[in-house]
Amino acid sequence: MSLLQIDHVSRHFGKLIAVNDVSLNVEPGELRAIIGPNGAGKTTFFNMISGFFPPTSGTISFDGENITKLTPEQRVARGMARTFQITEIFPELNVAGNLRIAVESAAGFRMKPWLNGAEKKLVADRIDELLTLGNLTTSAHDEVGALSHGDQRAVEIMMAMALRPKILLLDEPAAGMGDQETYDVSRLIRRVHREQKLTIMLVEHDMRVVFNLADRIMVLAEGALLAEGTPDEIAQSDVVQQAYLGKEADLGKEAA
Amino acid sequence: MNGLKQHYAKIIVWAILLTIPYWFTYIGGYLGLANEIVIYALAAMALNFLLGFTGVLSFGHAAFFGLGAYGTALTIKFLVPSTLVGLAVGVLTATVAGMVIGALIIKRRGVYFAMATIAFGQLFFFIANRWNSVTGGDDGVGNWHRMPINLGFTTIPLFHNSLVYYYFTLLLFALAVGAMGLLLDGPFGRSLMAIRENERRARFLGINIELHVWISFVISTAICGLAGGMLALLDNFVNPRDLRFDLSGVLVVMAVMGGMRSFWGPLLGAAIFQWLREVLSSHTPNWQTYIGIVFVLVVLFFRRGILGFKLSTVKS
Amino acid sequence: MAQLLLFDISNGLITGAFYALMALGLSMILNLSGVINFAHGGFLTLGAYFAYVLQQKIGFFGALLIAPMITALLGLLVERVLIRPLYGRDPLYSLLLTFGLAFILVDGVRIIWGPGSPPYQVPEWLTSPLSSTYFFLTGYRVFMVVLVVTAVAALFYVLNYTKLGLRIRAGTKDLETLSTLGVNTRILRNLNFGLGIYLAGLAGALAAGFLGLSPALGTALLMPSFVAIIIGGLGSLLGTLLGGLLIGVAVGLTTVFYPAASEAVIYVMLGLVLVLRPRGLLGEEGRLH
Repeated sequence: MSLLQIDHVSRHFGKLIAVNDVSLNVEPGELRAIIGPNGAGKTTFFNMISGFFPPTSGTISFDGENITKLTPEQRVARGMARTFQITEIFPELNVAGNLRIAVESAAGFRMKPWLNGAEKKLVADRIDELLTLGNLTTSAHDEVGALSHGDQRAVEIMMAMALRPKILLLDEPAAGMGDQETYDVSRLIRRVHREQKLTIMLVEHDMRVVFNLADRIMVLAEGALLAEGTPDEIAQSDVVQQAYLGKEADLGKEAA
Repeated sequence: MNGLKQHYAKIIVWAILLTIPYWFTYIGGYLGLANEIVIYALAAMALNFLLGFTGVLSFGHAAFFGLGAYGTALTIKFLVPSTLVGLAVGVLTATVAGMVIGALIIKRRGVYFAMATIAFGQLFFFIANRWNSVTGGDDGVGNWHRMPINLGFTTIPLFHNSLVYYYFTLLLFALAVGAMGLLLDGPFGRSLMAIRENERRARFLGINIELHVWISFVISTAICGLAGGMLALLDNFVNPRDLRFDLSGVLVVMAVMGGMRSFWGPLLGAAIFQWLREVLSSHTPNWQTYIGIVFVLVVLFFRRGILGFKLSTVKS
Repeated sequence: MAQLLLFDISNGLITGAFYALMALGLSMILNLSGVINFAHGGFLTLGAYFAYVLQQKIGFFGALLIAPMITALLGLLVERVLIRPLYGRDPLYSLLLTFGLAFILVDGVRIIWGPGSPPYQVPEWLTSPLSSTYFFLTGYRVFMVVLVVTAVAALFYVLNYTKLGLRIRAGTKDLETLSTLGVNTRILRNLNFGLGIYLAGLAGALAAGFLGLSPALGTALLMPSFVAIIIGGLGSLLGTLLGGLLIGVAVGLTTVFYPAASEAVIYVMLGLVLVLRPRGLLGEEGRLH
């Protein structure tokens, strides 16, 4: 059974049709990428899945349950975690402090006035695990506002991982990054995907990241599903070439 | 480092508060002023629990302060002549009002939340001002006084001994402030700070923003009500001005002036403000103008407050 | 009884018109600049006292024309010097600043003109009743209603058909985009603030002859104006107008049947709206946040 099942989903903003009748299945353990020219509806599509706003029509099922109308918090509770195009972290706290809030929330401690010894140990151990997974141990006590772009992204991904998600949604994880940082983030995503056998879905602009990481790629154009397939299939697809040539850059050039 | 700094701050604050009755007169103060400072500081710190540590601005907290004051005074005057029962009813009244109003406005954010609190802030002033038969209208509630507390083996002379009342106030202050400090140091407090720092991230970590803000609002209103009750007991009188919108603004100014990102900031702000009001109002009939100028200067030049250092990073 | 009822309803409508004028200005400033202008009542009071001073020199109608303009000029200056540095910061700061400003304005009026109520002369031919059955229907009341209606109509004309108004409305939706299109948003916010204060000044000049002069004149009208904006729906000026009038009539009616609750009724309405229709009567969805 698919982990994430999206059936004929559309979203209208007034007269604008941002997403038009898109269906998609994501299988457990898969790393799925969504690409498309600017204004193709990628972000809208993504925001519907994570619960920012409901679709105008269609249904979204997750792990066998209809989650179309659930709030973001309820989706988090069911195992969905996400990151944002512009990194969303707690800028005035240090790395461990950021992770601590995520870990405590995930452990269901967010309403507790205080923790007992066992609970404290549980939280501390989990923070250490995540610091290691994210290669952040040395910067544990640095304020995140002062970190590099790439490290901030790593913190954000680790905060999402703290939730022990069944699926991780990444919105343009390499946005605004230099070559080295892009490379580091790609490696981190791949490591998380392999080591934790985690299902990941990402929207990305940078074709190097997409063709490097994805098992399957879905192409959106003007709000509708244009093509779907393995990276090889997509790279050779004429329709996709056409859509990109018509819109902006040459797919081959970006992927090079 | 930061933990150490906070530790010293705590020691200094308590040393001052515990000894102030014995030296305040030497620098021109008096016991009543010290007592007022402790009470307003508690109200400002309660407001700051919401403002500085949850990131939510209420500009209507005078309502809850006043409800605490009226609840306490009316209970002692008409129902049960007991200081503790009066205070309990005062706090309960403020808390229930906080729960209901909080639930009505919790979906609003930022400037719109502030606006809703301003609007509701005046409701109880109008009621107190109009419901003459019970609240005495513009004249306030007089002809009652705080009662001694009978412990069986001994009686605490709250009424006739102002010094004893000061330490009674300080004990309540310690309990309330201790509770707030404990909460802010635990997971719930960190959830609140997460909301303040980045509401979107907090939401996508599974934190229920509305529920957390509501609880923070209710805690804040309850403690504000306690402070109101304490002021009523100090004066043996309640005035409709105790719940008028001016006071809401004053509480916010105290928090901002002292430093709303620091736990003890509002205490310092309250001390400075009460002192300033005392000095100004005894020297000029136009003291309100000067108070207004203080507000403007605080905004333009003291944005981070006197204790304006950053909140200590969450310890790990 | 019918007369009394009509009397109170007309009183309510006129008071509601003042709420609406005041709330419209507040709402414009809030929508474009994100500033809760607590000093709005202070400006209204100033408008009233300016009219009081001017009418001794240039007569009733001259004062009515000039006083709001002077108030607006002062508003432009205050925005430029005190409020502009606070844009982009937490709305807390502008709220505190205008709160302090309200203290200064109200106390300043008291210092200059005294705490009492100096007499405000409305021309006699305007104050005599138009009909003996409906004794309350004076020319001044009709005049006030006509003037408020004209002012509101003019405001909506400006907002819908002039370049300034279209820019203000566009800026309310998306100030950043507007600024990338080359519009000077600093000047826009300044003028918008001035326009809002003009409405407050006009309400003050009119209210001086109806409610009487006192330093607290504007403060008394401020709270209901906040409620009017929330009831009408944030972001909707038409809603604000409707909210102001509704509150005025509700207060007028309660004054007939249960005077003690004439202020509390405002809050009953506010509570009902928040429960039954959280975005307000005509509010846009999503303006909650």
